[in-house]
Amino acid sequence: MKFGFKYIPFLLLVLLLVLPLALLFVQWLTGKEGMQLFSFIDRAYLLLMGKSLLISGIVALLATITGTVCAFLLYKFQFSFNKFYRVALLLPLFISPYIFAVAWKDGFFWLLGNSATIYSEAGVIMVHTFVFFPLAMLITGTTLSQIHSGYEEAGLMTVSFRRMMMKIVLPLIRPALTISFLLILLFSLSDFSIPAFFGVRTFTTEIFTQFSAFYNFPLAIGQSVLLLLVCLLLMLSEARYLSDAPFLSVSAKGSFSKKYQTGNRKVLVHGFIWILLASALLIPVLMLTVQSFTGRTLFFAEAWELIRPAAFQSVKLAFAGACIITFIGLWTAFVKERKNQKLPDLLLLLTFIVPSTVLGIALIRYYNHPALNFIYGTSLILLIAYLGKFGFIASRIIGNGIKQIPVSFEEAASVAGIPSKKVFLKISLPLLVPSLFTAFVLSFILCLGELGATMMVYPPGTELMTVKTFTISANAPEALTSSMTLINLGVTVFFILLLFVFGKWMFKKFQYV
Amino acid sequence: MYKITLENITHSYGDKEVLQNFSFSFQQGKITCLLGPSGCGKTTVLRLVAGLEKPSAGMVKINGSVVSKNGEILLPPHQRKIGFVFQDLALWPHFTVFDNIAFALKEKKEDNIKDKVTELLDLFGISNKAPKYPHQLSGGQKQMVAIARSLIMKPEILLMDEPMANIDIQLKENILNHLLKIHQQQKFTMLYVTHDHREALKTGDEIIIMNTGKIETAGTKEEIRNSTNSFLQFY
Repeated sequence: MKFGFKYIPFLLLVLLLVLPLALLFVQWLTGKEGMQLFSFIDRAYLLLMGKSLLISGIVALLATITGTVCAFLLYKFQFSFNKFYRVALLLPLFISPYIFAVAWKDGFFWLLGNSATIYSEAGVIMVHTFVFFPLAMLITGTTLSQIHSGYEEAGLMTVSFRRMMMKIVLPLIRPALTISFLLILLFSLSDFSIPAFFGVRTFTTEIFTQFSAFYNFPLAIGQSVLLLLVCLLLMLSEARYLSDAPFLSVSAKGSFSKKYQTGNRKVLVHGFIWILLASALLIPVLMLTVQSFTGRTLFFAEAWELIRPAAFQSVKLAFAGACIITFIGLWTAFVKERKNQKLPDLLLLLTFIVPSTVLGIALIRYYNHPALNFIYGTSLILLIAYLGKFGFIASRIIGNGIKQIPVSFEEAASVAGIPSKKVFLKISLPLLVPSLFTAFVLSFILCLGELGATMMVYPPGTELMTVKTFTISANAPEALTSSMTLINLGVTVFFILLLFVFGKWMFKKFQYV
Repeated sequence: MYKITLENITHSYGDKEVLQNFSFSFQQGKITCLLGPSGCGKTTVLRLVAGLEKPSAGMVKINGSVVSKNGEILLPPHQRKIGFVFQDLALWPHFTVFDNIAFALKEKKEDNIKDKVTELLDLFGISNKAPKYPHQLSGGQKQMVAIARSLIMKPEILLMDEPMANIDIQLKENILNHLLKIHQQQKFTMLYVTHDHREALKTGDEIIIMNTGKIETAGTKEEIRNSTNSFLQFY
């Protein structure tokens, strides 16, 4: 039993997820299929990588600044609707990015009479910024709410408010700013859907094209390895802070942070937040709705007929994915926090930062073997991809939950003569319910909207909501694409609301003071 | 009641050595108070006895048997017949007062659980708190629940890690009196960690004064009162 608990999930993690990535490296190094080791590094590809990094860098900068301003306003100031704003501004993070791409395309068409302007690098930057700034808000906001009020009050004894913020608070949140910038840079660099939708050539879309359209596997593998190395280098620069990710937590304790009044700047604050909320969420949704209802034919019935089987399939797979992710997340978090075994968590961090298309290629190359057809030819390959993409998030949410349970709770039971398995089941597990639920919900929503890896690995005969909407957008009338996207958004929001309501009830029941 | 012996114990947390060649025999059935400044290793001694820490070097004996030795736990905590009152009390927040105390009895499928728990609750005068959750109790009541929980399995050894910190003097007296009464009846070996020398002098049959991981001096109350040890004079 002990051996099983210690090694079986670890072996599974290595066999299912890490070996495919390692094999990608081996295939690149051994130059199978006539591939030269560095044949993919020519001037054009390096320039493309430079361009992708530049776009992602601008996105990361803009999104980090916007998110930090929001975090300061929402986490350090008291004003009405504060909690509502926090939830509403986070929503874009949980909705598949390409939905916003379709929405903004409709928006530009409606506002300017054509949508050509958005089919550009600027369009990618704009939509990515609106999609990713909530991440910076979440990371910085959580860090701000963990700063003990005493630090600020001691500062206010000697310097002005502004000076105190600059000299005390800002240095304290510097790691959060760095990590926000880095994560957004990685996410933007890895995203395939928005550049592909807007027809902007980036390194990720290039890999997808080489692999799926030109079947140039050696080049696609070489490019994947290059992108993987860039992501690894970026990750290694902040790996220690990333692997502890304090922002992914469900806190049982109240905030000790100091809150300020907005005073006579209340209108300005509300105005700023509403402009952002409108740009990031309301206008896109409104535009999708308007576009869906314009035109001579109403496409909703057709869109629903097309998307219905895919929607059920997507929900089913997202549910299965979330269950597996939560289970593996619980195990990796537990062995990290209580047994000091950090490797499984680090492996999940590694697969988390791997761009979806690269992960997709690695999985296809590894599982495309007659003996492994039960994985390659079925939805199992999708579940493995989901685990690779979102396992780390679940592991950190649960890990931070474990950190909040004093070790003495478990020790008290051990000393009282309770065997360790029972201590886990009766003491640790019930106290972890809020974290487990949060990890499950986040995983479910993220699996439901995942497109990059899904596009690469979904097996024949499997219809998924995101893939169906994305692929149909190339040929279908715009109103049909918009209707399908709106239904897709509706399904996602429906589940977010359902789980939110259930979560509120559950937190009340299980979050102990 | 068990005799506890620590022989040549050295223990570190990372690079920091918290106990240096620590040796002592705790007398069976007696109350020994460990007194000393923060970080001197008092809590570590309790955790080593409980089996919650493995000694980096040296051995721990309970009743003559080696239970931990040179980085190895030979007898796990739950087989040592120990009650432990933690500094943060460690009351399980998802259990009621009754369930906190009854948990070990239920897991071991003992008989008359209700009677045993009620008897202890009565002894501490908190029977009416049985259905309450820990967060619904005052500081003193929590303290009593933690002590009651540690006594429910009739331990041979009771370890108390600053259990009376943060409560007022009158309540402290009250709880200590309860505890001493129970000790008179059950005669378990008790190690009591405290910062407060008055508490130590009231409670302990024997007192150990610790500083930077070593024993500065040890003896009965009288011996400690009359000691000329320079650290003790300063402390």
